[in-house]
Amino acid sequence: MKKILFYLSIILFSTALYSQQKHSDIKVDCSFCHSCENPTKNEPCIKDCPRHTMITVHHSPSEGPLEIKIDILKKEKDLYSPVIFSHRAHSEMSQMGGGCSMCHHYNPPGRVVACKECHDVNRQRADLRKPDLNGAYHRQCIDCHKLWSDDKGCTYCHAKNSDSGKNKITKTVPKKDRIHPEVIAPNKVVYNAKSGKNKFVTFYHNDHTNLFSLECKDCHKDESCVKCHAKEKIIKKQNKTLNQKHQLCSSCHDTAKNCNNCHMEKVTEGFNHKIKTGFDISKFHAALKCRDCHKKPKSFTGLKGTCSNCHQEFKAGTFDHRKAKLVLDEIHAEIDCSDCHTNANYQKPTCENCHDDKSFPANLPGKKIK
Amino acid sequence: MATQGRRDFLKSLSAIGISTIGVAGITPSITKASPENILSKDRMGVLVDTTVCIGCRKCEWACKNAHDMPSGSIDDYENESVFDNKRRPDYSALTVVNKYQNDKTGSPINVKVQCMHCDQPACVSACIVGAFSKKENGSVVWDESKCIGCRYCMVACPFQIPSFDYHKALEPEIRKCDFCFDRTAEGKLPACIEICPVEAITYGRREDLVQVAQEKIKNYPERYNNHILGETEVGGTSWMYMAGVDFKNLDFPTLGDKSAPGVSESIQHGIFSYFVPPVALYALLGGVMWISKNRDKKEEN
Ligand code: SF4
Ligand code: SF4
Repeated sequence: MKKILFYLSIILFSTALYSQQKHSDIKVDCSFCHSCENPTKNEPCIKDCPRHTMITVHHSPSEGPLEIKIDILKKEKDLYSPVIFSHRAHSEMSQMGGGCSMCHHYNPPGRVVACKECHDVNRQRADLRKPDLNGAYHRQCIDCHKLWSDDKGCTYCHAKNSDSGKNKITKTVPKKDRIHPEVIAPNKVVYNAKSGKNKFVTFYHNDHTNLFSLECKDCHKDESCVKCHAKEKIIKKQNKTLNQKHQLCSSCHDTAKNCNNCHMEKVTEGFNHKIKTGFDISKFHAALKCRDCHKKPKSFTGLKGTCSNCHQEFKAGTFDHRKAKLVLDEIHAEIDCSDCHTNANYQKPTCENCHDDKSFPANLPGKKIK
Repeated sequence: MATQGRRDFLKSLSAIGISTIGVAGITPSITKASPENILSKDRMGVLVDTTVCIGCRKCEWACKNAHDMPSGSIDDYENESVFDNKRRPDYSALTVVNKYQNDKTGSPINVKVQCMHCDQPACVSACIVGAFSKKENGSVVWDESKCIGCRYCMVACPFQIPSFDYHKALEPEIRKCDFCFDRTAEGKLPACIEICPVEAITYGRREDLVQVAQEKIKNYPERYNNHILGETEVGGTSWMYMAGVDFKNLDFPTLGDKSAPGVSESIQHGIFSYFVPPVALYALLGGVMWISKNRDKKEEN
């Protein structure tokens, strides 16, 4: 009986509250986030937040609200009126930094957790480990604002309640698709290491974003607005150690060895799979992400160029030759792959084994399709 | 004219002093009214996180309002020129915020200063008439009706907090932060705590706060120095501080864990046991006052 009740409660709980949020997709133990056995919406009993190490899924700025009037803490005799927070603009800005988790610490799949769900609206409270809601809001805003804005007084964001008429700020957000201008990314950046023979590191930014599908925040996660705004405020350039300099690259590339993979005598071309490895991916594999094939973390080498290496299902009788944009005629559909693709060369078939007078691509074993 | 006033005042002080020794000489035990000095397990405290404080000085404004002191317009508190000098709490401001350069991170450190509400308050021990008391909620308060204006508390306090309203020399008034005793009795938060926009000052049971502070240090070792000022200093204080730099750089005195009263009490008992007339001390105090006042005047000119 107990067991049934237990399962029932789980089913009820998960369908009622979280089914739409795909909580079950999360590959962590519930107790990673929740301290009680049966968390509910009102009592989520979320553990003290380990902040940035929590689960974070991608949400685009357009998914969030355009603006929010933060009036949850409004009281009768406030000096200042509630802030109208341009959520969309800020989430666009955050794309160049840590993404949503810059403010939300972590975002589970589905609905992003709002500040008030963890930060108490009352300053007199039991759990003093995290700031109350008022403190949390202000810290969140001020931490960035004080870095780049000289005007960090209250009225930068709040209207004063005693102000009337023209003094009163009525900042609202323009209703357009994008508020913060698109950040224009460079195609390539050449770093000059200044020492050694192989000084130049040619970094293809577009390859990393388009080809390798990295998001801005994957690399720019610790940057704040000052990176572009109010540059004069960045006081001193830090002297970085060798490790720190390589830190960003080394999250994917093994920078401890093979310096010459990146450091070259001269400025180099962008990444081309065919030139670099001999395997042309532009025809059939262009839509794939690197990690779809190169599954071993930190490594991109060691894959054989043969189809069956990944496509174990590609066998005579089971392989749909239409995938190669060519429908085999009846005779050719019957024979073994290796009869034409000798030496496992699936790029180009050999006709000479059977036909003295035929050759590819002048003669085709079927019909080309698009 | 002002000098004349002060002399009169000193005269009257000595008179009180002499009458006090009269009694003190005979029955020292009754002269020192035994002060109220409660150390409740549930006493409240405040954790000041100087890495969070933004130096907005709203706490200064709220404090003045709560204590019926002239506070001026809240907008004026955004003027940062006050940070040019290091200020101390005095009769016109029971709490002040100072700004310090931070060589470590480049962004300045703001430090709110007020009475620490010691667990073993030197002022309570030093006060010969029991005008100071440590209350159950952790606050150390001063009772105007008992104070005789001797200013022992000012000498005794290891943090140099009690201040004296020199402008009201004939109605002696010691002023210091009272942890908003009246407000908290009504269940409200102390005024500074209530207004702080970033909750740089967290109000709660002292015991809980020590735990919170220890956790913060453990979780963010780069952010904080491993030192909670007030956890053990002078026997522990209700207000405790955290910082990313050494407290020496923030004008905090380096103090041992031994409660300060030991020091002040022995001065006091020494005075009485050797029968040194307190008038000598008053003369000394008066002298110090006179010199410092003159120096202030010179500076003003
Ligand atoms: S800081 Fe000074 S005035 Fe405040 S309780 Fe301690 S000894 Fe008394
Ligand atoms: S109100 Fe808070 S943030 Fe502002 S100066 Fe005071 S303690 Fe610092």
